[in-house]
Amino acid sequence: MITIEGQYFDGRQPISVQARMDFEDQEVTLTAGSFSERYATLDLKVSPRIGLTNRFITLPTGGQLACADQAFLNSLPQESPSEGPVAWLEERWGIALACVAVIFCTLLAAYFFGLPAAAERIAARIPIQTEQSLGRQALTWLDQKGWFKPTNLDFDRRKIITEGFDGLRADLPLRDYYRLEFRSSAFLGPNALAFPGGIIVITDDMVKSAETTEEVLSVLAHEIGHVELRHTMRSVLQNSVVAVAAAAVTSDAASLSVAVAGLPTLLAKTKYSRGFEAAADDYAFRLLKQKGYSPAAFASMMERLSKKYEKETSAFTYISTHPLTAERVQRARDAAVK
Amino acid sequence: MDFEPDYSKYTLIELLDASVSIDPKKYPERAKRLDDEIARRTSAALEENTQVPEQPPELRLEFRGSAREYFRIWIVNLCLTLLTLGIFSAWAKVRKKRYLYSHTILGDTPFQYLARPIPILKGRVIAAVGFLAYYASTHFITSLLPYVLGAGLIGAPWVIVRSAAFKARYSAFRNMTLHFDGGYLGAAKVLYAWGVIPVIVIGMMFNWPGKPVIVGIASAIFGLSYPWWIRRLKKFIVEHTSYGGKKGTFSATGGQFFNIYFISGLIILAVVIPSGALAAILFASTKKAWLSTYLFATPLYAGYVLAFAYLRAHSGNLVWNHTRLGPLYFQSALRSGDLLKLYVTNALAIVVSVGLLIPWAVMRTIKYRADHTWVMQEGDLSEFQGSDMTAVAAVGAETIDFFDVDLSL
Repeated sequence: MITIEGQYFDGRQPISVQARMDFEDQEVTLTAGSFSERYATLDLKVSPRIGLTNRFITLPTGGQLACADQAFLNSLPQESPSEGPVAWLEERWGIALACVAVIFCTLLAAYFFGLPAAAERIAARIPIQTEQSLGRQALTWLDQKGWFKPTNLDFDRRKIITEGFDGLRADLPLRDYYRLEFRSSAFLGPNALAFPGGIIVITDDMVKSAETTEEVLSVLAHEIGHVELRHTMRSVLQNSVVAVAAAAVTSDAASLSVAVAGLPTLLAKTKYSRGFEAAADDYAFRLLKQKGYSPAAFASMMERLSKKYEKETSAFTYISTHPLTAERVQRARDAAVK
Repeated sequence: MDFEPDYSKYTLIELLDASVSIDPKKYPERAKRLDDEIARRTSAALEENTQVPEQPPELRLEFRGSAREYFRIWIVNLCLTLLTLGIFSAWAKVRKKRYLYSHTILGDTPFQYLARPIPILKGRVIAAVGFLAYYASTHFITSLLPYVLGAGLIGAPWVIVRSAAFKARYSAFRNMTLHFDGGYLGAAKVLYAWGVIPVIVIGMMFNWPGKPVIVGIASAIFGLSYPWWIRRLKKFIVEHTSYGGKKGTFSATGGQFFNIYFISGLIILAVVIPSGALAAILFASTKKAWLSTYLFATPLYAGYVLAFAYLRAHSGNLVWNHTRLGPLYFQSALRSGDLLKLYVTNALAIVVSVGLLIPWAVMRTIKYRADHTWVMQEGDLSEFQGSDMTAVAAVGAETIDFFDVDLSL
């Protein structure tokens, strides 16, 4: 006969009564003070094991016995049998360490390979038309708010650039969706932006900074790379998955420290956007060479911009959104030579 | 022989005895002194008796969670959640909550968390669909946004009521569950306080933010009424939650909430204005944008964390110190300085350990809360009367009904 000591709660009042349970073959007797009841052992329900804390035996009459954890309780009917294996895993340090390894490998593999590859494939299946209304709205908004002013470039200059641009896009898969827009913007300085859905905006300052049309086209080729490689859609997909994963991992800490949850998302965004810039560069170099231009034009354009704006204070130059590195210029030169 | 007896050395029984046997005509002065002494003693005894309930027994609240134990639970469940692409997260929530509840011990008895994973999973699917709809309507199909916001407006009271009811129903203490009886209409009345929020949301639907006057007026009204709104929400939750047939009562006033929010606002201003001025001067003299940006952002963030710690400590104290549940009342003594230290060290530890110290941070934060909260008992616990509605056994036996969803995340 096995005896368990514990606290009995009748479910009518939150008052504990010292009690004992005597287990015989198929029957169990509960004794709490002068009160005594008999039940079939199979009608009991034991709460899952968790850490080293008390467990609860629910009785068929609605009462409950709280008692210390002991191996014998596992042989009784369980309230939630599926939690047994999880509890077994949770008790072992070896498994905890293995979990650390699995989590780090999974997250790193997903972050560097799985997620970018999956996003690329999914983005390729989503038609670019879904982005168009968003791109148009963004441009309209910037125009209305005065961030963009109408261009001051003369018609001939624009015509030459537009013709060059049409040449670049002529046989690309997404050729029908491009729209080149000229704007002047004191705020953005020399800049070029690819909007969702294929709108590409180039600022007057950028055109004026260029010494040749080839240099302007090299910058536009970079933006075409962003559109053609579906970087808007891919960054939306990747960043939202990272945000969800970061929220899952840090969900327990989120209420403790606001700083914690945002950090991994921010780091991931920065990393992915650098990757997209490099990919757009490579795409641009191939496109330029294919159309008979030299990637060296891109290198000289970048160098001139960086020299000119090194000492400037505006945080919104082309340089800061497209971090120029010696490496980037070097890759353009290498591409030109090959 | 004429001696003066020292009555102050007599016991009460001896005094009463003497007052019966004394002849007041013969010794009027002595009889008067005797009566005075008896009156003094009895009133003192009465006072002593009434003083006893003024120091009510305390139900000891402690948190016995261990960071090592919780780490294993956390990491195993996180691993399974990742490997099942999030589906296991509902089971993981149950395991973690079970651990936290069962290591929170009130009057030597642990709390119990009784929720089942399937309703939690259902709640998460609903939340994910809602979030996707919102995300798609803000990023891609913008024409849908008014409908999504409208649905959110209609759904919000339901989310509040369902999550509070779920939390109460599956939290048990001493074989009796809590119960929440707030309804959709009640929640809607509280949530849409004076119609301010629907106006703001409807305004967003019709693109009023384009008009700065309306935005200004709406945000001023919302900002000023926010403390009262928070109070109404807290009061709604507390006063519709019951344990053993006793409903909670909530006596904090909107003015008290306002003071707390006002001081947090002052803390932020006290940091923003000097550091902003310093950054501007520095920018004007050195022309280095990044330097003044960092110089401005760092104290701004510090000020924000400080204000946040102040807000958490004081509003936590305010809510608990003004909540009663039958014979129980609460004393909470969280301190802003302690919370600030806790948040900063937690954040540093988590970043340095690449997240592995999250369980440790969770444990010490809950322990701090438990160590600074006291549950006082004024009267008898038998005032709480359980019923079929609060029976723990019924929770396990019931079939999962469709509307049993956990929306609290």
